[in-house]
Amino acid sequence: MFGLTLKGLLARKVRLLLTAVSVMLGVAFVTGSLVLTDTVNAAFDQLYAGLTKGTDVSVRSKAAFTDTATMGSPKPFDAKVVDQIRKVDGVAAAEGSLTGFALMLDKSGKPIQPGGAPTLAAGFQTDRELAGGFSMRKGRGPEAPTEVVIDAGTARKQGFTPGDPIKIMFETGGQRQFTVVGIAGFGEADNLAGATLATFQMSTAQELLGRSGQFDTIDVRGKTGIKPDELRSRIARVLPTGLEAVTSETVSSEASKSVSDALSIFTKIFLGFAAVSLLVGSFIIWNTFSILVTQRSREHALLRAIGAGRRQILGSVLAEAVVVGLVASGLGLGVGLAVAGGLRGLMSVIGMELPSASLQLHLRTVVAAFAVGVGITVVAALAPAWKATRTPPIAALRDAATPAKGVSRWRLAVGGLLFVGGVAGLIRAMSADSQVAAAGAGALATFFGLTMLAPVAVRPLVRVLGAPIAGSVTGGMGRLNAARSPRRTASTATALVIGLALVVGITVVASSVKASVGDVVDRANKADLILKSASQFAPGFPSGVADKLRRVPEVGTVSEMRFGVAQIDGATTYVAGVDPATVDRMANLGVESGSLAALGTDGVLVNTDVATLKGLRVGSPFPVKFAQSGDRKLRVAGTFTDKTLVGSSYLVSLDTYNANFSERLDIAVLVGARKGVTTEQVKQAAKAALTEYPNVAISDSAELKKTQNDSVDQLLGMVYVMLLLAVVIALLGVVNTLALSVLERTRELGLLRAVGMTRTQVRSAVRWEAVLIAAVGALLGLGLGLAFGAAFSRSLASIGIVTVAVPIVQPLVCAVIAALAGVVAAIFPARRAAKVDILRAVVTE
Amino acid sequence: MSMVKSPSGVRTAARVVNATKLYGRADSAVRALDNVSVEFQGAAFTAIMGPSGSGKSTLLHCLAGLDTLTEGQVLIGDTDVSRLNDADLTLLRRNRLGFIFQSYNLVPTLTAEENIVLPLRLGGRKADPQWLAQVVTAVGLADRLHHTPAELSGGQQQRVAAARALISRPEIVFADEPTGALDSRSSADLLRFLRHAVDEYGQTIVMVTHDAVAAGYADRVLFLRDGRVVDEMTEPTADRILDAMKGLGE
Repeated sequence: MFGLTLKGLLARKVRLLLTAVSVMLGVAFVTGSLVLTDTVNAAFDQLYAGLTKGTDVSVRSKAAFTDTATMGSPKPFDAKVVDQIRKVDGVAAAEGSLTGFALMLDKSGKPIQPGGAPTLAAGFQTDRELAGGFSMRKGRGPEAPTEVVIDAGTARKQGFTPGDPIKIMFETGGQRQFTVVGIAGFGEADNLAGATLATFQMSTAQELLGRSGQFDTIDVRGKTGIKPDELRSRIARVLPTGLEAVTSETVSSEASKSVSDALSIFTKIFLGFAAVSLLVGSFIIWNTFSILVTQRSREHALLRAIGAGRRQILGSVLAEAVVVGLVASGLGLGVGLAVAGGLRGLMSVIGMELPSASLQLHLRTVVAAFAVGVGITVVAALAPAWKATRTPPIAALRDAATPAKGVSRWRLAVGGLLFVGGVAGLIRAMSADSQVAAAGAGALATFFGLTMLAPVAVRPLVRVLGAPIAGSVTGGMGRLNAARSPRRTASTATALVIGLALVVGITVVASSVKASVGDVVDRANKADLILKSASQFAPGFPSGVADKLRRVPEVGTVSEMRFGVAQIDGATTYVAGVDPATVDRMANLGVESGSLAALGTDGVLVNTDVATLKGLRVGSPFPVKFAQSGDRKLRVAGTFTDKTLVGSSYLVSLDTYNANFSERLDIAVLVGARKGVTTEQVKQAAKAALTEYPNVAISDSAELKKTQNDSVDQLLGMVYVMLLLAVVIALLGVVNTLALSVLERTRELGLLRAVGMTRTQVRSAVRWEAVLIAAVGALLGLGLGLAFGAAFSRSLASIGIVTVAVPIVQPLVCAVIAALAGVVAAIFPARRAAKVDILRAVVTE
Repeated sequence: MSMVKSPSGVRTAARVVNATKLYGRADSAVRALDNVSVEFQGAAFTAIMGPSGSGKSTLLHCLAGLDTLTEGQVLIGDTDVSRLNDADLTLLRRNRLGFIFQSYNLVPTLTAEENIVLPLRLGGRKADPQWLAQVVTAVGLADRLHHTPAELSGGQQQRVAAARALISRPEIVFADEPTGALDSRSSADLLRFLRHAVDEYGQTIVMVTHDAVAAGYADRVLFLRDGRVVDEMTEPTADRILDAMKGLGE
């Protein structure tokens, strides 16, 4: 039986390939995301292992919690601890280390800001073994306060060589000038996972980073023969409270884990796209196998007549599905590898630099690819295969043309219920804020309801959509053929509906976001200027900016804002530090109860929604866990409604912030003009005052809206690319369906050719059929997408979507393009149809 | 459309000259037609008979421009069919020829009427209502025009096909075993209509059949064997045809 299946498949290589492609892309997404994650993880593992080489034990402050966002900022401690450690028996060498923020400027004065990676300052360690992978490539170490060693990556890209002057900025103060005396690499890598690194004499680093007489960590190397664990416990015994000793293995595995945590979001998004394309693919598989089973009903009946059991028929159809799945998985695996390679390249293009490692193809990835590919294909083919077993042997003797079956009452009832219920859910989500659950359930129910009802809707839809072309003979034929097998047309169109509904829905959400950004800025902002980091990857900018602005005569108010990570009720979240004296002059916070003035050094302003949810009121105790300072007992100083400008549900005073975080970078500075000074005047004055801070972007509210919109568009662009793939798969489904239909209609096509239809007319008829099928999908996708988008926009009010804007032109253009893409989908089937051998089609039998 | 007049004054609707058709490769070629030359008179009903493999269908297909000769010429009127490309052949079939096949003559999505006027519509023309009514009445389908093929009996379907073949007033109608799938009553209805078309409208019809009764409706019967015309009969009757067929070894 399997031999028969295989022979049948090989005879139809093109179809096999077309069918497989619909699943292939989904598998490629799965493979691509897994390979990329593994590759990046492997690269970071390698990197951290190299960095900790030569160090057995590290001493650092105990952190209250470790999280991705807190990595690399342990609380500094007294440098004298190093002397105590050196006295411990078994210690061969111990040396402090210090890292912090330093932004180097290139030769034209622009900040050297890598995408996604930090810009680091460090103290130069004199013990070369403890320095681990850090090795001098050129020149020498820093020996004077004005000397610096920079990483080889920066040196190569910016053309610095020993002897060159270089300007560097720190958390406090403006630009300072140094001389490059050495270039360092990290093993084979030119930089640390894309980070820039400026290394100073240790004492210089301590002074520059504002940590005189302090270290972040102490690196310790043991004498030969002593185990790291033993060394660790010996050191731990002499440490003052608040410090801990850990093996370098722990350090590097913690670091690796934080990287994979950070990457997991990316993996999840990618797997989401995989799910979408697999759903689309499964519709196409189901459709293809349904058509194949119908076409082969005579063959199956014959097999049944000569004694094949139902199970054997089922087996033969499913075996075909397995082969298709295997081919799809194999291709998907290959394409996925290529995609992973391409994405790695793309990430560095958009500024996210990753350390390099060869692409990692783990067994897990291969297993996942084949499980997903074969699994989806077989599941999608189950129903058609079951249908095949229902073929009565007598069908072998009847003429094959089985009339299209109607839609069962059961299907109508369930589909109708789902659709009506779904629409009700969507309407509910559209008419009230924050009904995410209603929107989600409504969207799903509407989609599945529509899928079930689609076969009924196809005939009238095709009739209406095809009305304008019914006058021409080929258009009329295309119209008739598109409505000929409603189920087939429906399931082909459904694949397109999924992709298009998502594209249109996300367009609606995005335009709502953009409209909201405008409204939010108008409503919440009272400042004339908003200063932010020029690069979205930078952690902030030096507080020197605010100091400088305070001395500008045109400036009336300067309000700084800082951001930090803390744990509240066990969840890691952002806390914003604001200046209670000035912030309400620059932003509408909508303080409902309590006051900003009450913040003091232990107060928190909590967003009203959160306060209501947690049952908090003014005066309630509010425990917060900070990474460096640990548990602090704060209290609720008040509630506020508008968090859109501050971007956090928890506000503390700058005093409280500074007491619990060691960073001194501002995330934003709000500036108000002195009375009688125009926005334009204060902007020019601020620009003139901040020439030495090229890393700061100064914008008025109109410019702020524009930058925000640009970043929405950028994100949208990436999402579009992914979803358009789903649309492309759906169009491949149209190709497949048409190719099969053409094959099924060989005789009819031959007859038409015999009585005088030209090849051009044949092609035209097939093209119209494709366009109509695509148009049905486009229309339904457009409708669903608009409804989904409106419902979700409204339900996402809590994350700042305050205005629902439903664009008309863009979605309409999408739909028209999708419908016209039917023309492209028809190229191959139309050519086949036009090539039908008249004589063989009409005469044989 | 000038017609070639033969010396006797009867016009020749189609001719094959030294027609040879080989199937397969040179070393194992089958000679389906072997140097056949034959003329088909206008306004006449010609039947082509012969045992299976005699080349009768091949002759018809080559005449109709559905198949090409290996050697020789086919002339429809004075058009050399063997010189036409696919597009010209299509136009020839659409405008100057009519077809009735053994089965599967109709497009299932179109109604009977739409099927009948299909060749005209493909050429962007409208049917002459009078002619349409006349043909439809003659085939006895006036009340069946809006039915789809699935709603018609086999005999009715073949009569729709016959009406379609006549709708463009073609120079020749080619019929390939048109009664092959019909019962005797339906066959008789169809053949009477074809006879009627020749007698009343001066239609030229060339029909391949293996049925002596069907061939009995023709004005002239050609007998083929092994790719050659071996006999010819005018004013045939079913009995005489059966005798002749026996002589051919069938």
